[in-house]
Amino acid sequence: MKIDPTPAYHQPTMFGYRISTRTLRREAFGIFALVALTLIIIGPMMTVFLWAFAERWRQPALLPTEWGLSYWYETLARNDITSAMPMSLGLALTVTALSAIICLPAAYAFARINFPGRQGLLLSFLAVNAFPRFGLYVTIAVVFFRLGLVGTLPGVILIQLVNTLLTMIWIPTSAFQNIDRALEEAALDVGAGRLRVFFQITLPQVFPALAAALLLTFVSTFYEAQGALIIGIPGIRTMAVLMYSYINNQIVVQYGAVISLMLWLPSLVLLSFAQKFLRGNTVSSGFGV
Amino acid sequence: MATRSRYLNTLFAGYALIAPPLIILVLLIFYPAGQAIVRTVMTDQEVGIAAGLTLDRYFNFFADPIARSNLWFTIWVTVVTTALLFLVCFPLSLYLRFSSSRIAGIVQVLALFPLFVPGVILAFALIRYLGPRGTVDTFLRIVFNYTGFVTPYLKPSGIIFALVWDHIPFTVLVLTAGLRQVEDSVIEAARDVGASGLRVFFQIVLPLIQRPLLIVFCLNMIGIFGSFTIPYLLGPAAPQMMGVYMQQTFTDYLDRSGAETQAVLSFLICSVIGALYVRTVTRRRGERA
Repeated sequence: MKIDPTPAYHQPTMFGYRISTRTLRREAFGIFALVALTLIIIGPMMTVFLWAFAERWRQPALLPTEWGLSYWYETLARNDITSAMPMSLGLALTVTALSAIICLPAAYAFARINFPGRQGLLLSFLAVNAFPRFGLYVTIAVVFFRLGLVGTLPGVILIQLVNTLLTMIWIPTSAFQNIDRALEEAALDVGAGRLRVFFQITLPQVFPALAAALLLTFVSTFYEAQGALIIGIPGIRTMAVLMYSYINNQIVVQYGAVISLMLWLPSLVLLSFAQKFLRGNTVSSGFGV
Repeated sequence: MATRSRYLNTLFAGYALIAPPLIILVLLIFYPAGQAIVRTVMTDQEVGIAAGLTLDRYFNFFADPIARSNLWFTIWVTVVTTALLFLVCFPLSLYLRFSSSRIAGIVQVLALFPLFVPGVILAFALIRYLGPRGTVDTFLRIVFNYTGFVTPYLKPSGIIFALVWDHIPFTVLVLTAGLRQVEDSVIEAARDVGASGLRVFFQIVLPLIQRPLLIVFCLNMIGIFGSFTIPYLLGPAAPQMMGVYMQQTFTDYLDRSGAETQAVLSFLICSVIGALYVRTVTRRRGERA
């Protein structure tokens, strides 16, 4: 199953060739979709962008009446933000690292070692997707409450770990399965050690998929708000959790807009650099497709 | 003898490597969910009296008109949103599958864009964009002098709009990937013998993409049913979706057994779809092996 996001520009379908009515109709739909998606998807994000740089936005006006960066300084100086940002980053890094340590060896085993029950055990991780997410969080929260884990850092780390299991196991497993075994055997035949084969032959082949899994895990944990809200409150507040109160109880719109951009732009940049890793069936193999 | 002990060593290594994520899966998903299911049918477990079986908690749930209306509302939103998602994403995916123009490239980027926007930021952006005195409202007032814009904010339509927004990328990704597996030659052959476009779609394309279609259907249904952030921030105060209701019962009313009952009910309702999802993925893997 392969998706190629780059359209084949070099295929001369339009210019210099007879255009069929079917093509014309199809591209008319394309233009309609383009306009509609721009309005629906880019519109809201542009609005946030404008608000973050609005010094003043008097109604009714299409654009901010005064531009400036003063709300950036103000937001960055707020106590709740200066404590939530390191918390979010540290938490996302910890969860990603823990998840990698726990899951990557398992992914290797699932792909390469033939033990009884392998297929069934691999499929059992689909359970993460088969439960309605928030219901699952509530039952976990009830258990954590009895254990005194509500409002603590270990509690939040554990609930966020749940989310990462499927991505961290399924994407690397399918990558390890697709390795060219002949290359490894050839290296072994000419006398390379097992470790050397692993680091010089095996690892480079799975690197893109591993990078994609790590990146997706990091970004989704950084954004994860529901589990952190129900387990973390009131002791642990991440940036994403902070957004709930900024949306519901904050009169100054700019604070929320600045936090949104701060949360969102770094990962957008990160993910667009990683586009080539995210191509093809890498992402969908994390859903069992 | 030597080969046998080596085989056992390999087996042992396999199980040892997959043990850590499996333990997490059991402790954080199967145990909380399982104990919640058991506790909802037990009498007075907290007090320690020899527990009997009872369905009282469920009778209490269905005796409460608010609980009932929340449950129906959740089911209604889930069905409507899933149907709308297919209505929006099928034409988009078909277009992306059959067009290789420059426009299609941009449409694809736009359709996948929400993948990188977390729920809290989406909610914030939509309030600023579609809310009262938001960008759309202001635009209509200034450019068309139209004051009749009705905001979907805090209405069921707001939830549905945002949930569709949020689930477009995954749906398009999976449907397009499925459609790419349908060979051009199959479609052309059908067209050559005079089949109409609609007939080709329903009789040839749909049966061929049955698996990705089922997977995306199941994951969307379960994901929407178990959603929290979007209905919490954009939805009405009543009726609520189950995620919001559970959070309120757990965090605000401190009624943990009530929240547990609501969670188990949502498991039960989604279990049919969850089972269908696991079965679809399993069947596919089985055939591949």
